[in-house]
Amino acid sequence: MTALPLAPLLYTALLWPLLLALRPLLLALIAADQSRPRLDLLWISAPLPALALAVLGADGAVRLDAWLLGGRWELDGARRLLLAFTALLWGLAGWYARGYLGAEQARAAAGDALSRSRLLRFALFWPLTLCGNLLLLVAEDIGSFYLGFALMTFAAYPLVIHSGSPEARTGGLAYLIMAVLGEGVLLAGLLWAAGSGSALTLSQLRATLATADAGPWMGLLLWLGFGVKAGVIGLHLWLPLAHPVAPTPASAVLSGAMIKAGLVGWLGTLPLGVAGVEASFRGLGLAMLWAGLAGAFAAALLGAVQRHPKAVLAYSSVSQMGMITALVAIGLLHPESWPALGALVMLFAAHHGLSKGALFLGVGISEQAPPWPAWLLWTLLALPALSLAGVLGSGLMIKSDTKTLLYAAGAPDLALWLSLAAAGTTVLMARTLWRQWCRRAPAGIAAHRHLLAPMPLAWLLCVLAALSLPLWAGWPAGGTGDAFDELALKALPALLWPPALGLALSIVLGWTLRRVAPWLSRRLPAGDLWWPLAAGARWLRRPGQATLRWLAAVQASWVAWWVAREHGAVAGLDALTRAEGWLRRQLALLLLAVALGLAAVLLIGAEGMPLWR
Amino acid sequence: MSALLPLATLASSLITAAVIFMLPEQAVRTRTALNLGAALVKLVLVLWMARGLVAGETYAVEFPVVPGLGFVLHVDELGLTFAALSSILWLFTTMYAIGYLEGSPNRRRFFGFFSLCVASTIGISLAGNLFTLLIFYEVLTLSTYPLVAHRGTPQALAAATVYLRYTLTAGLVLMVGMVALHVVAGDLRFGQQETLARLADGQEALLIGLFWVLLLGFGVKAALVPLHGWLPRAMVAPAPVSALLHAVAVVKAGAFGIVRLVYDIYGIGFSAALGVLDGLVVIASVTIVYGSVRALAQQELKPRLAFSTVSQVSYIVLGIGLFGPLGTIAALAHLLHQGLMKVTLFFCAGNYAEELGIHRIDELDGVGRRMPLSSLAFTIGALGMIGMPPVAGFITKWTLGLGAVQADMPWVIAVLIASTLLNAAYFLPILNRLWFRRGPAQGIGTWPDERPPSRFETSAWLLVPALATALLSLLAGMLAGLPFSPLQWATRVVQQTYQVIPL
Repeated sequence: MTALPLAPLLYTALLWPLLLALRPLLLALIAADQSRPRLDLLWISAPLPALALAVLGADGAVRLDAWLLGGRWELDGARRLLLAFTALLWGLAGWYARGYLGAEQARAAAGDALSRSRLLRFALFWPLTLCGNLLLLVAEDIGSFYLGFALMTFAAYPLVIHSGSPEARTGGLAYLIMAVLGEGVLLAGLLWAAGSGSALTLSQLRATLATADAGPWMGLLLWLGFGVKAGVIGLHLWLPLAHPVAPTPASAVLSGAMIKAGLVGWLGTLPLGVAGVEASFRGLGLAMLWAGLAGAFAAALLGAVQRHPKAVLAYSSVSQMGMITALVAIGLLHPESWPALGALVMLFAAHHGLSKGALFLGVGISEQAPPWPAWLLWTLLALPALSLAGVLGSGLMIKSDTKTLLYAAGAPDLALWLSLAAAGTTVLMARTLWRQWCRRAPAGIAAHRHLLAPMPLAWLLCVLAALSLPLWAGWPAGGTGDAFDELALKALPALLWPPALGLALSIVLGWTLRRVAPWLSRRLPAGDLWWPLAAGARWLRRPGQATLRWLAAVQASWVAWWVAREHGAVAGLDALTRAEGWLRRQLALLLLAVALGLAAVLLIGAEGMPLWR
Repeated sequence: MSALLPLATLASSLITAAVIFMLPEQAVRTRTALNLGAALVKLVLVLWMARGLVAGETYAVEFPVVPGLGFVLHVDELGLTFAALSSILWLFTTMYAIGYLEGSPNRRRFFGFFSLCVASTIGISLAGNLFTLLIFYEVLTLSTYPLVAHRGTPQALAAATVYLRYTLTAGLVLMVGMVALHVVAGDLRFGQQETLARLADGQEALLIGLFWVLLLGFGVKAALVPLHGWLPRAMVAPAPVSALLHAVAVVKAGAFGIVRLVYDIYGIGFSAALGVLDGLVVIASVTIVYGSVRALAQQELKPRLAFSTVSQVSYIVLGIGLFGPLGTIAALAHLLHQGLMKVTLFFCAGNYAEELGIHRIDELDGVGRRMPLSSLAFTIGALGMIGMPPVAGFITKWTLGLGAVQADMPWVIAVLIASTLLNAAYFLPILNRLWFRRGPAQGIGTWPDERPPSRFETSAWLLVPALATALLSLLAGMLAGLPFSPLQWATRVVQQTYQVIPL
């Protein structure tokens, strides 16, 4: 395939979504256009230039010195894969949104102002979020990267609160608070590292981290900062709260594409695979490893008792990202294994992105089912779940590769732990499908839908993209060939016991939740730690306000003190005035007294004085 | 010719002031034309001098007042930074004031003192020694008093009295400091900072003491905690005055005074050697955090913005206190950035008050629907204050952070992050209300005092300045790499004038 020049493709890829985001604004301004905002084909095309960039662009870098602190954007093998699956998922989810928000569009067309403003917001912030996501993938200078990250994070807030319900507000609040905290920690890490090494680009930042004395501490800040986005356990609170309330296509890109920005951040800033970091970064590596595994298991446990399928899927994302975190940690603990492991992590990200995207989109499909035979529909819904559980497709392939690589890196224990976590994934997948089944729409409610309607078609294509990933994932990195070759049949039993274990666990769990402990779901609501923390914050609110009042009072008393001093000074002046008045009245007398006194002195002392001589 | 330009720049607003005082109250058109014409002329003159300065020309005026003490105007890169800020924002603030005060009484007095106030900021920026700076500093104090008191309400008069109390006593302190310094070192010209360093032997304690005396004098206008009490009180002034006070005239004059004090009177190297910079950093850090915390507690828009100014202006002081080129660059760039962003925020706050009668933050629900452009400008300003790229505030915060690391004070990053979080905590809820809450625009409740809708969302005189300054603050960040962006200009100042450390 011939590669096209990079710069025009790259600028188009970034500017096209921006332009589409501004379109409703410009129309409203210039033409006083009061027509309803439409999710038309032009709007859907937002990620197409980015897809073209991923497929057709030549490897290389683009510089623009006037931009921020010096703009530098690059395209290489790793970025190409990320860009490809991100743009693909955004495109399909956008298409899906066209159908998903169909009722909203109809209401807006009928003159409902509320629907109209919600739709306008969606039409505006969806491409804006996409723009940030794309920018952070191609950015090589720190400024652009941070801009892309922040833009994506904050532009996604209106998508989360789209419905405006109280739950959406809570989800949005959790999202925003965690995002702001994450940005703060991230900025601290970036500033510290960039300042120590005078770094302007991400690669310089990695080099600084690897050599600086405080490198591991900077690494810790960066890990935590990006960890909010990547759903590291403890920082994951926003995920299960924001996902169920967001419109389904937005949940798909949140979990499929945006969550990966955290991973991209780690890969861009941590000195993974740099020889010699295993000593200094051992602490951080172990912390990441344990946090990753803890996340993988804790999220599986918490997710397994959720009732909303999207909440289960959100916990599944936390769990999957936990596994990825553990793999990234190996890049710090065993740097020599990173080149191969890095490629695997990238593939894992693409696999999870597309499969999770397909699963989320599937939730909407089961709620508004097209009039297909049930067996077909539920088979298709189950396929990405099976892939994620590692039974087939890219999931199976990744599991096999992970095992091989971890054995080669000398971390067989981790391979075992990850296999157990994969059993957890199976439980979550079974739970998702079960909850979808329980909440399925009665047959025929959406009978007007045909196969080519945006929703089913976009979902089908997403399932297809997820399942076919092994066939094309090797291409961006230069073509590693057909990954299935390496998969020996005799290894299958060793790969398939975790899903089997997971299935058995699911049955036990399902029975427990139904018969023994149905209260578990209520006791462990989505968002887990959020609720005690929120209660704590409410409890702290009063002391906080009291402190602020106290500060104001301190300031007021400081001012009052000075005013009192001033009054004192003025009173002093008054005393002077009084004294002066007294003086004025008594002056003649005083002078007379003085004169008389002098005279007396003179008279008395005259004899002894030589004055009269 | 070289003496003419600084004088002409000064005169452009001084003469305007005089003429406006002589015009009758009803001569609205003449006054408007005069105001805008003079603002444009001054902008051109300043840009002309900037061009000339880059080309290597010098501009200076000097005559002795008493033997050994001269009135000196001397144009350098640093002074021109402040002059450029003042002339750009004067143009927009004047436009805004014309629209804001349309049809209200006492406009002659207002615009007269307005011009006088701008003339004194130009004087401050072009002053070539401490004496000249002090003269204009006092003129500024006196000419802003009628502006703060403009409304004439008891509240306004009380606030103006408080303002006068703070600034006049500070002026007194400054005067004492100046006289003492004169006794020690004679007439100190800016740019000859080695004089004090030569005198230093055995007099360190005295010089350190004098530094703090002078800082006390400048710190009142720069609203350093605990000298900031006048600023939130002065919020009763009309919106254009608040904009001027916060972005250009008063707080900036204080900050600029501190810049001169550290770089031109003492010299950055000597200040560092005396050890006064550490104290400056601590004071600035305390002010930054304290101002943000207090802003969080405000329920009204303008006081919240006022406390935000207390916090943000200290970024400049923080940058000065960080020994090293990056800190200086950040300080000078923020002088411009903060001006642009804060003036935008005040313009928008004024628009909300003028158009919808909104003063409290909880009345802002859904305003984004009714006034989208003002709200867009406000959003840009607020995001800039938080330090979000690509608005100018990010550039400052980034440079400041790098400067802190290079000055070996990584703890300052914690201050910056705390400030970022607090800024987000008091600005994001406002943005949420503007855009994502439903209010009277969606048929829930009413605005406190809505004007009938006009062609634009509000008068064009009010809208255009807000949009222009918002755009400038966006561009100052987005295109920070361009040769004449605030960042690059600040870098130039540092390289040309100070040569602190080779970059």
